[in-house]
Formats: sequence, C-alpha cells, structure tokens
Amino acid sequence: MAKNKKPMPAKADKKEFSRRAFVVGSGTALAGGAVAVLSSGATGAAAVAAEKNPYAPSTMYLVYDSRHCAGCYGCMLACSLVHEGETNLSLSRIQIHRAVLNIYPSDIKINVCRQCPDPLCVRYCPTGAAHVSAESGNVRVIDAPKCIGCRTCIEYCPHIPHRPIWNPTTKKSTKCDMCVDTPYYNKKGGPGGSQACVEVCLANALKIVAELPSQTDISGYDRNLQPPPKAKPPLGASPGAKPETTPPAKAEPKR
Amino acid sequence: MATPGFAGKILLVNLTTKEIRALDTEPYEAYGGGHGAATALFWEYCVAPGEWDLQDAFDPRNMVSLMTGAVSGTGIPAAARTSVSGLSPQCYPIQWFCHSNFGGTFSMMLKMAGWDGVAVIGKADSPVYINIVDDKVTLEDAKSLWGLNTWECQQEIWKRSGVRYGEEWQQLDSGYTLQRPAIVTMGPAGESMTRVASLVHGGGSGAGQGGFGAVFGAKNLKAVAVVGSKGIKIADPKGLRDTREWWDKNWPRFGGFGGFGGGQTIATCCAGCGVPRMCRNRNRTFSLDSDDCAESTWYTLIDHKVPTEVNQRGTDICQQLGLNAMETCFMGPMSFDTSHNKDFTIQPRVPAYTALGWYMKTMYDMKVIGPGTKHDISPLPMDAYKSREFMEIYGFALANRVGIGNLLAEGTARFAEKLGRTDDFNTLCRLTMWGYQDHWSMPGVEWAYGNLMDSRDINNHDMSLGRKRNWTCENFVKVLAERTKANEPFWFDYSWNNEQAYKTGIYSKHKAEFVAWRQHYWNYYKESVGFCDWGYAQLFSQGHPEGKGYTPEAEPRFLNAITGRKHTFEDGIEIGRRSWNLKRAIFVMQGRHKKMENFTGYYYRPGASYCGFAPELPIFDGSKWEWQNCKELYLTREGVDQWKTHFYNVEGWDPNSGYPKRKTLEDLGMKYVADFLQSKNKLGSA
Repeated sequence: MAKNKKPMPAKADKKEFSRRAFVVGSGTALAGGAVAVLSSGATGAAAVAAEKNPYAPSTMYLVYDSRHCAGCYGCMLACSLVHEGETNLSLSRIQIHRAVLNIYPSDIKINVCRQCPDPLCVRYCPTGAAHVSAESGNVRVIDAPKCIGCRTCIEYCPHIPHRPIWNPTTKKSTKCDMCVDTPYYNKKGGPGGSQACVEVCLANALKIVAELPSQTDISGYDRNLQPPPKAKPPLGASPGAKPETTPPAKAEPKR
Repeated sequence: MATPGFAGKILLVNLTTKEIRALDTEPYEAYGGGHGAATALFWEYCVAPGEWDLQDAFDPRNMVSLMTGAVSGTGIPAAARTSVSGLSPQCYPIQWFCHSNFGGTFSMMLKMAGWDGVAVIGKADSPVYINIVDDKVTLEDAKSLWGLNTWECQQEIWKRSGVRYGEEWQQLDSGYTLQRPAIVTMGPAGESMTRVASLVHGGGSGAGQGGFGAVFGAKNLKAVAVVGSKGIKIADPKGLRDTREWWDKNWPRFGGFGGFGGGQTIATCCAGCGVPRMCRNRNRTFSLDSDDCAESTWYTLIDHKVPTEVNQRGTDICQQLGLNAMETCFMGPMSFDTSHNKDFTIQPRVPAYTALGWYMKTMYDMKVIGPGTKHDISPLPMDAYKSREFMEIYGFALANRVGIGNLLAEGTARFAEKLGRTDDFNTLCRLTMWGYQDHWSMPGVEWAYGNLMDSRDINNHDMSLGRKRNWTCENFVKVLAERTKANEPFWFDYSWNNEQAYKTGIYSKHKAEFVAWRQHYWNYYKESVGFCDWGYAQLFSQGHPEGKGYTPEAEPRFLNAITGRKHTFEDGIEIGRRSWNLKRAIFVMQGRHKKMENFTGYYYRPGASYCGFAPELPIFDGSKWEWQNCKELYLTREGVDQWKTHFYNVEGWDPNSGYPKRKTLEDLGMKYVADFLQSKNKLGSA
C-alpha cells in the first residue's frame, strides 16, 4: 500500500499560525494574529466577514445531503470532466469519500469548498491567483495563469481534507469555481449558470444556495435537501380519503 | 497511445512464477475490451498453446480475468461492471469457459490506476493478494488474511496502509487521492473451493455465477486491491456531457427496481450510475450497502419483502462468506407468491425455484439425506429450520465444507449427482442447462435459448416483454423491431403451440436471429463495454412518448463520445459476434457439440414457464397480433431441434455439429481460430 510520502501542505515554514488552532466547528478562528469569532448563525458569520476581512461574501454556496447521496461519484467524475476534459477522481474539486463497510450514515462523507467568508486560500496567495471574482458572484477562484504552484492555498485551507486540489500535470492548484471556468462544458457556469456536479446528481443531494451557510460546523452545508414527504391521510380515514393539505391559494387573475 | 476510454494496458500476473507484465490493450480492443478481451486472452494463453484439456477450473493454468470496459469510470449511468471470466467450477457437467460481473467502484478504480484489466494465471505457493497502486503492482503476503470473511479482509487491507482514508491526501505515483483501495476478494467459501463461491467487492457487489471465488481459492489468491490517481481520457468531453443530458432528458430516472428492503433503505450506487433504482441499498438499520436483489433472497423462508433481522442477517452472512446467493438460497415454490401455482406438487408441475437450500430441505423431507440414510445431515440443526441459528450453521457448513456442507459445496447439480438423483434434473429440480438454477427463462424463450447456447444464466432482465398499458400488441412489437434496427417483428412472436410456432414463433428462424442478436449485443455492449444488465438493452420505454427505449442510440453515442470512434450500433453488434464466436471455439475445444445442447426435461412439460411476472406475450396468429397469456408455454423436442438448426445456420455454424465454419471465422478476422480448430478436427463443415 502506498504510504503518505508527501503529505500536503508542504510549506509549514510559511505558517503564521497553527493550522490546528483554526478549529472549524468550535466557533473560534485565529488568523493572521486577528481573532475572529464565528458565531453560530449565518447572519453573525456574515457580519464578522464584513467587519473583519476585506472579502465580499460569495453569492453562491454548494450544499449537500450526505444522507441521501448515493455514493456514485458522478459529481466528481462530472467535475473533472468539464474542468479537465477527463474523468479523474484526484482532480475533482468536490470530494466524496465512501467507506462502504461503515454503517449508514457514516459510510459517505462529502467535502466541498465552503467559499469561506474569510478565504485563507485567497488571503495568503502570493500572486493573487486565488482571488474573489467580483465578476462571477464573488466566488473564490484560482486564476491558473497566475498560479506559480507554490501550494500556499492548499497549505492554508483550514479544512480537513483541504479543498484546493493539486494538479501534478500542470503543477498548479485548482479549486471549486462553481463552474465559472469550464472549458469542456457547453453550458455557462457560475452565478445564474449550471454546475456540472449538481446537474448530474440523480439523488438530488447537491444544491446551490445564495445565503451564507452557518460556519459553526458542517451542518450549514450538510442539509436535508429532500422534498417534504407527501401528506398521508389522517389515521382512521376511509380508504381513498384525500390527505390533509393546506388549501391552495387562489390563483391571481390573469392580467 | 491508448484509445480514449481505455487505460492502454492489461495486467498479466503469473502467480506461479511471480511474473508481472503489462500487455498492450490495443490488440484486444477488436474483441471489445472487457469480457471480449478476456476471451481473447484465454484463447491466447490457455487454448492456443494446446497444453491441457481445458476441463478443470482449478487447474493452475486456468486464467481468471477481471476486465473493465470503455465506459467504466466515465461517469455515465449503468456502466460500472467489472467482468470476470475463466473456466467455471460451477458449470455442470463440463466446467465451461464462463463469465460473471460485479458492480461498485472496482472497474473505475482499476482504470484510474492505469489498467484495463487484470488477468491471473498460475497458483501461488502460499496465500497472496495482488496490490495495485497506479503502475506499481506487488504480490503481498495474505497468510494473515486467510480465513477472514470478505468484509474483514477488505478492512484488514485498508488497515495495513496506515492511511486515514478520506481525511488525508495520499501521494501515489501519478497524483494524490483521498480514496481507499477498491478490493475484490473471496471469503471462506472461496478458500474451501466451494463451487458456488462468489467474489465480493465492498459490502456486497458480487460476481456470483461461475464460482470464481473458488478459482481465486485454487490459486491461493485472496484478493485484488487497487487504488489509482490517474484520469480516464475522454475523446469528446463536451459530447459526453451533452449525451448524458440527452439521456437524462428523454429517459428520466429509468424506473425503480423497487427493492426488497421497503422503506428502510436508501439507494447506493455503482460508480457513475447515480440512478436511484434501489438495486443497491444503504440500510438504515444494521446492514451495509448492496443489500438488495440476490443476497436479500438468500434466507427467504420468512417473507423477504419485510426486512426482518433474520433475513437481513442472512444477507450479511451470504456476502461475508462469499456465497453465490441465487444458487445457495432457499428459494423454492414457497418463496414467492404462488397464487398462480397453487396446485404445485412434485409431479407433474414444476416448482418455481429449486435453489440449493430448498433442494437440500426437500431431500431431507424425502428422507434421502438425514437420519437413517447414508448421508449424515450434521451439522445442520433441522429442528431449528427457519431460525437464525439454522441459517448461520448452513452458511458455515457450506462455506467451509463441514459435514453435509462438503456435498452441498459442490453445487446443486453435483449434489444431486452424488445422491444418485440426476433424474431430478428432469422432474423435481428446476435446473437449467449447465447446472444453474432457473431464473425466469420461460416463457421469454430467448432467455432459455441463450442459457442453452452460452454457459450460464444469461440474466435476460432487459427483455421486458409483458403487456404494456395503453399499447396495442402490434404497435408494441413495431417499436421493439425498430429499436433492434433489424425491423423484424417476428423476432417477438411467441407463438408456441401451433404451426405458427414453426413459421414465425418460438421455433422459427426469426427467433434464432433474435437470440443470436441478443447474444452478440450482450457479449459486446454489456460484458465487454461494461453496460449494466439493469440498464441495457432498453428497447421499449413506457415513459417515452413514442415508447422508444434508448437502445440503439445511447450505446454508440456514449461510446463514440468516450472513444472518439465513429462506430454504429451495428458495428458493436459485429464486435460482439466476433467475441461470441471466439467463445464458441473455446466451448468446442472443451467438448461442446450440438448433441449436448439440450434442455433439461422440465422445459418439455407443462409448468415449464414459471411466470409470476409478465406472462402476457405478443402472439401472431397468422393475421394479427395480440397479447396472450403464455404462462403454460413449454417446449417440444422437435421444435427445439428445428430452432437449433436455424440458430447454427444463422451463426454460420455447422448444423450437424454446432462447430463454427471457416468462412464464419475468417469473415470475423479469426483465421487463426479456424486453423486451430481444423488442426483439432473441430472445424465445422462448409
């Protein structure tokens, strides 16, 4: 079995803080000497983001439903297909990990780029390759021509596993860009466009939302995305009785 | 440079010499890749040298191959099968060259490690497993894995690496990955060389037919583990994405299998599929994935539609021991709704299923085995039949050849033979040809004919022929005929009990052509390309406004986008015909002859059609089409003889022997096969 020969990140000497001190989920973050307290609510987090960092919040976030994910890797294969022109689990910017012998629901974990309010990948990129794309809904993206392959974005991603991906062929980093830059996709991605991963998911386990999810733990991103169950007839109702539902609102008259 | 969609090389491992080689895939693409490539490799390494008689699947010279197809790992639905090929210890009476397949993520991961397949010959002198990490291949000591069940074995291999899968990126030779190795292994049943031993990957993605778990056991090969970090080249990525969208739009959610698990489960899928068919389940209670279909029927003495603790535990046991669920389960006449079959008695009706567990119990009830007979039933606690205790002991005894388990481990046909009851094949036992339990081979006779001409239960699920709501029979048949591209409605005429059966029905040339077409389709598009039996072929779709299934358009569209070829649907059928004929040549070298291609006795008796599903089939009465209930359909020997003559002629085989003719083989680019058969006096007469 292959050993972990070269664990990423590899540039520990550049760290300004202990990565482990940046505890996502505990509500506390230390970054660049500044103390940022991430509140449990989206509103609070957004407020912190606005006050403490110069980055405009993204207008789109990829959320998921790990309990209904079918574990098919279709999103990963679609992601690498539209971005790289090949199917490649290692180059997918969304990472599903399936532990098939674990008991449900711990058998599937989904790792997506969180489009962080304070994106350390952007903050510490030495060339500006990783940046907030104002023209693409403030999505955090990496501009490949500017990337020098220093892996700093990978180093500073506070999440385990890190979300930026290393491409050993181009020797550059990549990350989820909400399909803004997809040379092998006939559709427009980014804000108002399509995302290949969402599009192929037949389990309806991926969705794009506009509101900043709670940053407290993964529950802001790992949600129940299934439609509410159909109303059942009340107990004791006669066969064929219609379920109790709210009467539909009257349709507005045609203008 | 490899053709897009292919990794470009096939791994050849000789366990005897410990030689590990990479073969160029390209010469085997002419056979379709997958099972076709495995067939060509078997010919090259096992038949052409002429060194042995090809009779014993446990001979170290037997080659067992795990092969992927062009669609594996490309993210399209119903396309993740790994084909397993080799001489089958389960086939009876001759251990034919056979094949099975399994789903999951193995085929995707194998290609992402840079391999289109793994072919294994020889026998290791002590237990090993093959470890593939990108291009690096090693034989690892598996002595400590021997005795572990299929789940334990996988967990132990993962544990050995020391990697925290899913949390830390591993650096492999070609890149980084978060993924754990995909592993296919055999359990105790394979180690004991039980002829009904399966290969298991993940929770329960299994290759059951053929008994290839036992071939692994005979080779001292515990498992194959693979992890890769490469990509699969796609010739037209945009085209592939667009084709998927076209498919999604026109055939949305192509129907649910329904599942046996009720509301307790959530779909889990093979790589790239994502179709929530419920053919695999993540169970919210205590079992793992892939808890549906065959394994969930393993202990169905209790209503299998209700996931009780006992039958769900049975599913787990079957998967862990590595047993072929379909063959060793307890399905018999009491398992399914028998409202149509209430008059079941041993004679003259034919029971619905007669799996090994049921047959054993029947033998016990008939006092053929058990107290007072020469066959001791121990360790089975027959007084605890239907209990969890009985189930666990049955599985243990069978998988480890303990007590009566040693006889049962030979499979139903050989078990009957050892009891001196081969007559049961014609009466009591619903075994099709070659020792396999009947599935639903009748009244859709192409399933039965396919079994007869091949070496296994062909799993003809795709030909769903029952009455379709809102469709006239004539229009339904027209759609089917058009979708095959042959435009021959009589392929679908099931006239059976009058002269029409010989003109256009089940004994006609039309039915022979349909069976040939189906075998060619199956050999290429399913077993070689890698499309799943649950998804392909689809000739008819109730959800499509014109009733059209996605066959014959989806297959070449997906394939051409992946490979960059410009193949037509018919090109694929022709490739399938090539590998089918090569397989025929292997059968012939093993002893196959027209004389032995006969159905077992029950096919010729009322009740041959166990038909709880879709009994209404298209019938042409000489002037018009109509649906008719065909649940009483059975065959006549005279009719089958006529059909066989038609079939051999359609295939270009000698109608007197069933041997392929030189012209047939040469037209398919296989002069070397014709020359070889001629040198062995096994070439068909022109």
